[in-house]
Amino acid sequence: MDHLMQMVLLMLEGTEVTLEIFVVTFILVLPLGLFAALGRLSSLRLLNRALELYIWIMRGTPLMLQLLFVYFALPMVGIKLPDIAAALLAFTLNYTAYFAEIFRAGIQAVPKGQYEAAHMLGLSKVQTMWRVVIPQMIRNVLPPMSNETINLVKDTSLIYILAMNDLLRVARTIVQREFDMTPFVVAAVFYLVMTAVLTWGFHRLEAHFGRYAM
Amino acid sequence: MEEMVMTDAAFAADAAAADAAMQELRLPMVTMRGIQKSYGGKPVLKDINLRVFAGDVLAILGPSGSGKSTLLRCLCHLESIDDGYIGVLGQTYAGEDDIGGVSYVAGEAERQILGHMGMVFQQFNLFPHMTVFENLMLAPVHVKHIPRDEAEATAIAMLRKVGLEEHRDKYPGQLSGGQQQRVAIARALCMHPDIMLFDEPTSALDPELTGEVLRTMRQLADENMTMLVVTHEMPFAHDVANKIMFMADGVVVESGSPEEFFEHPQQERTKAFLQSRL
Repeated sequence: MDHLMQMVLLMLEGTEVTLEIFVVTFILVLPLGLFAALGRLSSLRLLNRALELYIWIMRGTPLMLQLLFVYFALPMVGIKLPDIAAALLAFTLNYTAYFAEIFRAGIQAVPKGQYEAAHMLGLSKVQTMWRVVIPQMIRNVLPPMSNETINLVKDTSLIYILAMNDLLRVARTIVQREFDMTPFVVAAVFYLVMTAVLTWGFHRLEAHFGRYAM
Repeated sequence: MEEMVMTDAAFAADAAAADAAMQELRLPMVTMRGIQKSYGGKPVLKDINLRVFAGDVLAILGPSGSGKSTLLRCLCHLESIDDGYIGVLGQTYAGEDDIGGVSYVAGEAERQILGHMGMVFQQFNLFPHMTVFENLMLAPVHVKHIPRDEAEATAIAMLRKVGLEEHRDKYPGQLSGGQQQRVAIARALCMHPDIMLFDEPTSALDPELTGEVLRTMRQLADENMTMLVVTHEMPFAHDVANKIMFMADGVVVESGSPEEFFEHPQQERTKAFLQSRL
């Protein structure tokens, strides 16, 4: 029992790393994804094209490759980041691309008539986005956002290749040391608890933003 | 400082005098001259001219595709004209620009001109994530910067006018189409427009719900609101409008008083249209 307790404590420490990567990435990705989406929808051709290219690269290559690139390739050109920063950079770049596409679709789903009503009432472009379009976008994006957010929790396990002691790496270390498979089960339970909390949170948000009919 | 006050007072007096003169002379509220518009090379408005005076109710009739909605949408810059002139209360809204093209005024000048016009859409276009009351308060508070209590008083008065006070805290999605359209009218009225534009306001409604919207519009006409109404409602056009404009294929085929138009149509096209509507 003591042994199990000790194992769980070790894995909780790993969970802390996992959560740190998850929370920081998630917080960075929300505004960055929104700005990237607005950039994609803007009429500035150069910005548009640049973002299109960025999204294509980020979605078109494995996240693992991007992690390795930031971690091993950037130092070769003189950019040496601390481990955690490297991981955060890779995750943020990758997930911003996905969130940008989710937000873009959410904005495009807001009917043209909403912009027309805002125009007639004299709302500025910023007011139209902030008070009319984005609140309706939030409702549209919650289901796909919930998916991507859960993916992010699970994708954090990729940092094991960067020799960072996240939940999965801690579990694997114990398994290799003790030839006991229990840590994998515990890790699975930990991931399930995290994703369950997120699922519940998103359900609450969907209920809140779904209070009105479209 | 004193001079400033004097100047302001002089301005106010001027403005008041101008208002009075406008009533006297019935200067046009809306002038559209030589309006041309095409979509991808296909002309939809061909040299349209119209003038609407204070208190006029102009019904714009015509088969679908005649350009009547486009004309109304060009008037408030939801579409842009290719050529021509648009004036609203004596101010140029769209006209020839410095580089030889035709453009609308922009920025604050545009907002100021749009402030004279309220628009009611076929699809209502209420903000679904806001309650009825929030829909009415948004622009007065955030565009016109009217103090909240004053804006609230106006909103309540306008809701009462359209008979929906008890629905103020509902979301648009909880209301019938007719109720939503009346909220949309109230929302436009909260900005104190001088001209109300209606783009097929009853076309998206079930037949049994059109009456309540038309009654509200009739009430506005009785209060001498200047109105431009694109509609298929012949009885409404006949009874409420004082001017009829009939369009087909991007041109004005015939215009005149309701009596002339309905009892003595001159053009074959008009007769055929009226026949088809019987």
